[in-house]
Amino acid sequence: MKKIILVTVVPIFISAAPIDGFLQQLEAQAKKENLNFSGFSAKRGEQIFTSKHIGKRGKKISCTSCHTGDLKATGENIFTGKKIKPLSPKANPKRLQNLKKVKKWLRRNFKDVYKREGTAQEKGDVLLYILKN
Amino acid sequence: MKKIILPILIGAIGVTFAIADSDKESNIYAKKTLTKQNAKLEPLYKKECSECHMAYQPEFLPKRSWKKMMATLSDHFGTDATIDKEDSKKILKYLSSNAADSKRVYGDFRKFLKSIPKDKTVMKISEIPYFKKEHREIPKKFIAQKEVKSFSNCKACHQKADSGDYSERDINIPNYGRWDD
Ligand code: HEC
Ligand code: HEC
Ligand code: HEC
Repeated sequence: MKKIILVTVVPIFISAAPIDGFLQQLEAQAKKENLNFSGFSAKRGEQIFTSKHIGKRGKKISCTSCHTGDLKATGENIFTGKKIKPLSPKANPKRLQNLKKVKKWLRRNFKDVYKREGTAQEKGDVLLYILKN
Repeated sequence: MKKIILPILIGAIGVTFAIADSDKESNIYAKKTLTKQNAKLEPLYKKECSECHMAYQPEFLPKRSWKKMMATLSDHFGTDATIDKEDSKKILKYLSSNAADSKRVYGDFRKFLKSIPKDKTVMKISEIPYFKKEHREIPKKFIAQKEVKSFSNCKACHQKADSGDYSERDINIPNYGRWDD
């Protein structure tokens, strides 16, 4: 009798949303940095996302320049023309799933728009805004 | 009782990409196969460096250009393209081992390389002298238009650019059409 066994590697997915853990980390950090901190605010997040600033290229730019004002809409990288899928996890379930990717883009995008990294509070606020819209 | 275990190996073994089309006169894309060095790092490169534009073929630039590019990602043509340290090292390894001056390259890759002054470190493929020569006849308005934006957007005109095929029959300039010279 012959048996053929196919060995494959099945990745194990952890079910709890990784973004929740990240928000908790950011919260702990925000409390350390700001004694008056009393939780993240989607309203402040919206302000961070939609307000214009003199960015890395010396021109006025906001998060909406590439992602549009509608988080469920397809955006476009203003520097290269490449399309960007919607940021909202409600429109695009792949969003905010991979923490390494989330951290990488927050770092890059804050540098482009604010010419500095975001604080823990700013990152939490803006993530909450994206999650809720 | 016999058991045959077949492990399934995922990973690119000896990935090569063939350059199709051969132009009789200038033999632009000779029917040769380019061997990819460090092929197992190719998926990482393609993933990380195609987020804002296509992943350009490493054979278009010499090693010194890739080295400088990977060292200056915090200001990459006016945008922040920084990458995790470990990934960045691997990508540089992939790019420099496949650079135009690291292995035998043919056709346009070779012409591009030969046209770069030895004392210059070009940062854009689209700034290489031979590139400029090949593209000089295209009217500016077809480059500035929103469907193209700049020469960096190879795919807007070269429909098979992703697979390294830039032959003339696959050129289609938006709002202009096919290119016959
Ligand atoms: C220059 C264009 C540009 C600007 C400006 C920009 N982004 Fe992005 N952003 C991108 C691109 C490109 C991606 C990755 C695209 C993809 O994965 O489809 C991205 C991805 C993200 C992600 C990761 C989502 C995920 O999990 O996949 C977040 C979060 C994000 N941006 C937030 C912001 C915030 C906050 C700002 C303003 C501070 C901002 N972006 C400004 C281009 C931009
Ligand atoms: C955050 C967005 C972003 C990421 C990520 C990114 N780039 Fe770029 N890249 C750009 C922009 C913007 C340009 C300039 C495009 C223009 O001038 O139209 C560019 C241009 C280039 C060019 C020159 C294209 C030409 O015209 O010849 C090369 C080469 C290049 N990038 C390589 C890379 C490599 C390698 C990586 C991965 C390590 C990478 N890029 C990742 C945004 C990005
Ligand atoms: C606006 C459209 C356009 C864009 C963008 C563009 N090209 Fe081209 N390219 C052309 C045209 C048209 C030709 C043919 C020119 C001729 O033969 O007169 C060409 C020719 C070439 C050739 C020579 C092909 C052959 O038959 O030998 C190469 C290689 C090439 N392009 C590479 C690139 C790369 C790499 C990029 C991006 C960095 C790029 N091109 C961007 C339009 C474009």
